Amino acid sequence: MLLSVRDLQTHLHLKRGVLRAVDGVSLDVAEGETLGLVGESGSGKTLTGLSLLRLLPKGSGRIVGGSIKLDGQELTTLSEAALARDIRGRKIAMIMQDPMTSLNPVFSIGDQVGSPLRNHDIARGAALRSAVVDVLQRVRLPSPADRLGDYPHQFSGGQRQRIVAAMAIGCTPRLLVADEPTTALDVTIQVQIINLLRNIQADTGAGIILITHDLGVAASLCRRIAVMYAGQIIETGPVRAIYRTPSHPYTQALLAAIPRLGAKRARLTAIAGQPPSLIDPPTGCRFAARCTLRMDKCAEAPPNVTLSDGHSAACWKLV
Amino acid sequence: MGASMFRGVPWLPLLVIAAVGVCAAGGEAILPFDANELDLGIAFKPPFWLAGGDMTNPLGADNLGRDILSRIMAGSRVSVIVAFYAILFSGGIGAVIGMIAGYFGGWVDTLLMRLIEIQQSVPSIALALILAAALEPGLSTVVVVIVLTYWAWYARIIRGEIMALKGRDYIAFARVAGVGTPTIFVRHLLPNIFNTLVVLATLQVGQVILFEASLSFLGLGIQQPDISWGLMLADARQYITNAWWAITMPGIAIMLTCLSSNIFGDWLRDRLDPQLRQL
Amino acid sequence: MSGFFIRRLLQGVISIIGASMIIFVISRLSGDPILMLLPNDAPTSMIEETRRNLGLDRPLWVQYLIFAQNALVGDFGNSYRWKMPALKLILDRLPATIELAMCGLLFSVAVAVPVGVMSAVHRGGWIDRIGRVFAMLGQAMPAFWVGLLLILVFAIKLNWLPAFGHGSWSQLVLPAISLGWYPVAAQTRIVRSAMLDVLDSDHIRLSRALGTPERLIIWKYALRNAAVPLLTMLGVYFAAMLGGAFVVETIFAWPGVGRTVVEAVFARDFPVVQAGVLFTSILFVMSNLLVDLSYGLVDPRIRNGR
Repeated sequence: MLLSVRDLQTHLHLKRGVLRAVDGVSLDVAEGETLGLVGESGSGKTLTGLSLLRLLPKGSGRIVGGSIKLDGQELTTLSEAALARDIRGRKIAMIMQDPMTSLNPVFSIGDQVGSPLRNHDIARGAALRSAVVDVLQRVRLPSPADRLGDYPHQFSGGQRQRIVAAMAIGCTPRLLVADEPTTALDVTIQVQIINLLRNIQADTGAGIILITHDLGVAASLCRRIAVMYAGQIIETGPVRAIYRTPSHPYTQALLAAIPRLGAKRARLTAIAGQPPSLIDPPTGCRFAARCTLRMDKCAEAPPNVTLSDGHSAACWKLV
Repeated sequence: MGASMFRGVPWLPLLVIAAVGVCAAGGEAILPFDANELDLGIAFKPPFWLAGGDMTNPLGADNLGRDILSRIMAGSRVSVIVAFYAILFSGGIGAVIGMIAGYFGGWVDTLLMRLIEIQQSVPSIALALILAAALEPGLSTVVVVIVLTYWAWYARIIRGEIMALKGRDYIAFARVAGVGTPTIFVRHLLPNIFNTLVVLATLQVGQVILFEASLSFLGLGIQQPDISWGLMLADARQYITNAWWAITMPGIAIMLTCLSSNIFGDWLRDRLDPQLRQL
Repeated sequence: MSGFFIRRLLQGVISIIGASMIIFVISRLSGDPILMLLPNDAPTSMIEETRRNLGLDRPLWVQYLIFAQNALVGDFGNSYRWKMPALKLILDRLPATIELAMCGLLFSVAVAVPVGVMSAVHRGGWIDRIGRVFAMLGQAMPAFWVGLLLILVFAIKLNWLPAFGHGSWSQLVLPAISLGWYPVAAQTRIVRSAMLDVLDSDHIRLSRALGTPERLIIWKYALRNAAVPLLTMLGVYFAAMLGGAFVVETIFAWPGVGRTVVEAVFARDFPVVQAGVLFTSILFVMSNLLVDLSYGLVDPRIRNGR
């Protein structure tokens, strides 16, 4: 297994108290696989992604438990220096949400795309330049050789996201964490970027974790999906299984909230209520307060029930 | 209002400001000694904590045996008077020009803005020098120089605020309803910039005190036998090797006063007009 | 870009013309310059003749034009005191003033940038706290007093550095520090808040995520962003240095324009005062202009006309 996360616990120490942002997350990503990490904002999906690189808010964020193994190497105990040198940008790279703000406005894109290559000693001098041109070609930026000296503001949103992707794949990382890579873009550009991610995967065989709140985007790119709610993964499985037989009431509600083309009636059901506070989360099922199928048992933590090969959900109803 | 208005008031700085105010208002009546009284017997007498000093002259005496504490207390008067008039006039003139430029816009605005630019292209100390060369140096010259230097600062900020206000509906309604321009200025614009003016004025106090001290130090400001902290420092510079306290004490008075008014000004700004924070 | 350039240049020229008018008018406030040129017992006929010769019988605006015309060709008249052209006197002393102002600015930036950066990086830490206390103190201490204290401590008590003079670098240290002292606080604040903004930006987060060493993130990628607001203010600070130079040069007996003008004021040496003040204003305007034009060097968004 390329990446294997077990019982990850990430806390944010805030003034109001300790926020259990990621609370016992386990997930696996195989080589060449794309995992969709789906959830509402605040569900802990972004912090799960940042935990992999230990890029938590300075001072307040800390991984307090669990393990993260990349190619069998434990990352939670690795030193900060080793992490920066060998993991970040080298083995695990990240693509962030907003291409308009992800690039440094006062450095040329040549410098920025070259930066990970330089820092990880992949290429230097003249070789660096050709490596940069090459990687920009791979993300299909038009005439890259002429544009190395250009600055971010001279590119469109879609082009910028390609440049961000080029920065990420420059060192051919083993794992790519893409956090809402299409959310800030127009629909037509979204499709291009999704195709780009597909191509990157075909090229490099990297594993991808796609973090998104959009089940549609996840479905179009991923083989497997993990649904997060209130800091925990409540259902995980192959895309087909999740779509055809969503088993956790929350997943069902999420799917019901998507307007589907060809459905007889566009049924938009918002889920009533709010997710629980993660400073003092309920001991039982965290979705219970909003769940229409709530039972007495739900006051206890639900077991993770395996439904079919690779499909499991955490709900008492399934026991 | 009420108690909440005073939450977090910086008491210590306020105390310093009050002390300066009392010294300035009290005049000669509250001085331990006549500030200009010579007593060569105690020339270069050190402050009380050093050998040879005592509590009669707690901060020591200068080269002519004048009591430094008394002179510092007397010097506060000049600082307060200069600050008062300089701020009153620069704030008043600046506010009026800023309001006119902001409200009328067009060529009036362009002209006034150019004027501000020109004013700001002469360094204020240089302006002071040339004024001092042309006029008799003294308290009123100091005030004139500071007003000439600072009106543009007020005008620029007030203009910006007025331009923002002008876009508001009620100003437009008032104009359509035929309310006269003077009425709009006094009734609608002035109350809205009042907080800003108060904050700017408070923040200016420290700068005015420093400016007056610098001018007096150069000999272009307050003249003997009047007493000013800057002038005391100019005197003390002559015998810097003999009496370090004479050069330290008036400076500390300047520093404490400025520090206190700056801290108070910051507090007031956060209270009344947080948008001015970038100043 | 060229349109912007020409507009700024024009504004600068207008400012300088305006400054020259201010200087001219104020100088004339002092009364009849003739009385200063001629001996007190000069006969009336001689006064009248000189007046006509110098054009002082004509309206004020004509006089201004004559003044401006002469100023354009560099003729400010002769110094009453030094008996040499005022312009030459000022130009001779200008390099020393620029040297001092540059060193003062260098000192302030050299302190403000690292302190501002470290205050932002370790927000709330001891550098941040000490920096803030010093900033408050710095804003409350007049430059001349700082200069006097420096002389007291480093020249008199410790005898490490000379208290006055010009020529060697050791004589430059104390004046440069007193001159650069005041703006340190404001510059630190600018750098600190700009750094805080930048360090919280997505592109820095991405840089970190891609394994850029922290030292490069802070001193290269973040700092160049944070330098933009400081750079835009440098002209203002250089100009402030020129103003401060009048006081600091006087304390340290620095042979620059500032001290020369201050002395000329006491000697009522008007040609020197006028030339000195006008030159300071021109430098002032030019430094602001230069900074406006050099924005582009650090901020490509402006360079490309956006």
